[in-house]
Amino acid sequence: MGASTKPRLSGMQLQVLALYRGFLRAARMKSPEERSRIEALVSQEFRRNSSQVDRKNYLYIEYLVRRGKKQLDQLKSPETVGLASLNVEASQAKTS
Amino acid sequence: MASVSANFVCSRTSVRLPNQLWQMITSKSLRLATVGWGRTPGFPRLSSSRFQISCAAKKETVDKVCEIVRKQLALPADKEITPQTTFTDLGADSLDTVEIVMGLEEEFDITVQEDNQDNISCIQEAADLIEQLVANKS
Repeated sequence: MGASTKPRLSGMQLQVLALYRGFLRAARMKSPEERSRIEALVSQEFRRNSSQVDRKNYLYIEYLVRRGKKQLDQLKSPETVGLASLNVEASQAKTS
Repeated sequence: MASVSANFVCSRTSVRLPNQLWQMITSKSLRLATVGWGRTPGFPRLSSSRFQISCAAKKETVDKVCEIVRKQLALPADKEITPQTTFTDLGADSLDTVEIVMGLEEEFDITVQEDNQDNISCIQEAADLIEQLVANKS
């Protein structure tokens, strides 16, 4: 995902960056320790996806962006006080 | 020197007098005029000050930007940062750049618009944009 050369980030890359920015702005409005937790979580998630998800897999990327937007809207609401994530390790052998 | 030549010309016929004298006067007066313009708060002063603002950001702004960049990217203290260093030189990807810009927004209490954010690639550009936004705000 990292467009290391400055010219032209693609539309999808711009969407992702705008989403990331939205998360960081929303994180500012929460309490300080929650804010650092949100920032750590969000940046970890984004970086993991940027390395693991194939750049050409537009469908999955769009799905992630849509999901991220919904999560961001939830986060923005003043009733939400924090963000947490759960890591589930799925073992490959069990799937059909 | 001008007075000598003027006297010389004066001895000539009156027809030729205006031309040569006019040339001398204009050549001298042009120089005088530029000095005169410079003293009054007229065009050259205004354009030069405007030129300065758009050209380079203040030193302390650049330094503050460098500090924030260093902190965000966790650079070792001996790493050299010049205003021309791009963020990618320092090993930042686009997510890091977004983080840096957010940090700068907070530090200087400005809001960077979406389309401006994508143009920032080196420290000088960031400092210039900050200066511009601070000037617009105040």
